[in-house]
Amino acid sequence: METTVKFEKNSFKNRLQSMLRVDFRRMFKTKYFYIIVACALVIPILITVMMSMMDGSVSVNPQTGVETIMEGPENTWQSIGTLPTADGEAMGGMDVMGMCNINMMFMAVAVFVCLFITDDFRSGYAKNLFTVRAKKGEYVISKTVMGFVCGAMLLVAYFVGTILGGAISGLSFDLCGLTTGNLVMCMLAKILLMLVFVPIFVLISVAAKQKAWLALCGSLGGGMLLFMMVPMITPLGSTIMNVGLCCIGGLLFTIGLGAISNRVLKKTSLV
Amino acid sequence: MNAVEIRNLSKNFGSKQAVCGLNMTVPMGAIYGFIGENGSGKSTTEKMICGLIPTGGGSIKLYGKDYTDGDVRAKVGVLIEAPGCFKGLSVWDNMMLQATNLNIPDAEKEVVKVLKMVRMEGAAGNKFKNCSLGMKQRVGIAMALLGNPTLLVLDEPLNGLDADGMRIMREVFTDIVKDGKRSIVVSSHLLGELQKVATHYGIIRHGKMIKEMTADELDTSCRTYVAIQTADMNRAKSLLGCKYSRVEEDEAGYIRVYDMTTPEEIVAYLYENGICVTEIMTDKIGLEEYYIDLMKEGN
Repeated sequence: METTVKFEKNSFKNRLQSMLRVDFRRMFKTKYFYIIVACALVIPILITVMMSMMDGSVSVNPQTGVETIMEGPENTWQSIGTLPTADGEAMGGMDVMGMCNINMMFMAVAVFVCLFITDDFRSGYAKNLFTVRAKKGEYVISKTVMGFVCGAMLLVAYFVGTILGGAISGLSFDLCGLTTGNLVMCMLAKILLMLVFVPIFVLISVAAKQKAWLALCGSLGGGMLLFMMVPMITPLGSTIMNVGLCCIGGLLFTIGLGAISNRVLKKTSLV
Repeated sequence: MNAVEIRNLSKNFGSKQAVCGLNMTVPMGAIYGFIGENGSGKSTTEKMICGLIPTGGGSIKLYGKDYTDGDVRAKVGVLIEAPGCFKGLSVWDNMMLQATNLNIPDAEKEVVKVLKMVRMEGAAGNKFKNCSLGMKQRVGIAMALLGNPTLLVLDEPLNGLDADGMRIMREVFTDIVKDGKRSIVVSSHLLGELQKVATHYGIIRHGKMIKEMTADELDTSCRTYVAIQTADMNRAKSLLGCKYSRVEEDEAGYIRVYDMTTPEEIVAYLYENGICVTEIMTDKIGLEEYYIDLMKEGN
């Protein structure tokens, strides 16, 4: 009599759930996750406090003798986006606050996603993972979800840090004609915009595999190409339209680039 | 039904042909010793079985299903090259990650069970990076054993293990296959150790399977020999060399006369020629010598 072996059916839902559990379990056990979140919290406090302390100080160029007056932030929300002024000019356009603001988190998440995915391949864990997972889709989805959640946490941490920094520096919390709803929409739009960036970082990381440096360079470079659109699509005065736009864009990028990442994993060596 | 059935498998890395037209059959309940020189294509074949590298042609069936079938693959345990563990995490955390990956219902209990099997329960709290080579290897094997796998693919699992570790592994392997449904494909250069547990063998060379056989077939294929020591070894060797087809001196200083089952004949022949035999024994060559012979024939 021939011996037969029966195999349990594993549904996509079960497989995805276990993959998500692995990734989140690992995320919360990883030191650099906490370091990046801590940085996201501390950086806006440091920037706001230091810039406020330097407000009005004069630096003189010894060669030309030209005096430069340091301008500090006037409003807490300058760390989140550009505020309109009474005369219609933008507040905090291309100064330090305009560059070092919450949008940096789109680059910070690149660092996290790249290190997280390349760690799978560098440690050899990918062998254990993919031996028991013939379908690569759940890996890509899980990593995208994990990157998105991490990105959202970074944005929230930066937001909290901004409020703390503003409170410590005694800056104004006036929204200059905008509403709290605009602020919420702006944050929501930024969070959803993570779905545009994270799939790019996932794709580059699964293609780079063990090479963390390549994943980092590629992701930061690729992210830079889209970085300038962030303040345009998610201004402080965001409405439901901005949220919808980011949501649609995010979904398109997630599905499109996710499919490419899946193909890359299927067609290339995983060790 | 066979646990693994490979037909005409091939794989190229650029212009280098790593595996070429390989056929391999691992029956259910077998401990399949997969043997070959360095670079012969063992690891590449094992990686293809596990779906870690795409095949270049041919077919791989696991328990009658294509190797890309997710349900079958969910029951494959693997240890290839090095245990896939995160250095910064503890042994326990690494094991729990894999248990989560495998969706094991009572994960903690299962992890404790496999760690006990490889005698690593006392080191569960150690960071993986602080484990010794042997301990890491045991963790790797424990990880492969998680989830009661139907097929185990192990590449050099005995590397770095001490004598006790090897004995434990032999016991574990034998225990796994005793129900006759689960199988193990194990490659190792420690042929002596492999011979103690393997029920089937596959010998690969330049990406091609040159011999597949059972342990019984190996036993009958292994030549018997008579090993002797005499007072005049050089003369004895030349005398025996004239009469018998294969006479060699081994590393221990014995003269071996192969395919000779009647030691009395040798003793009588040497005595007639004035040589006194001081020590005599009969034995069979092991897997290692069989393998070396086979490689020599190939050359």
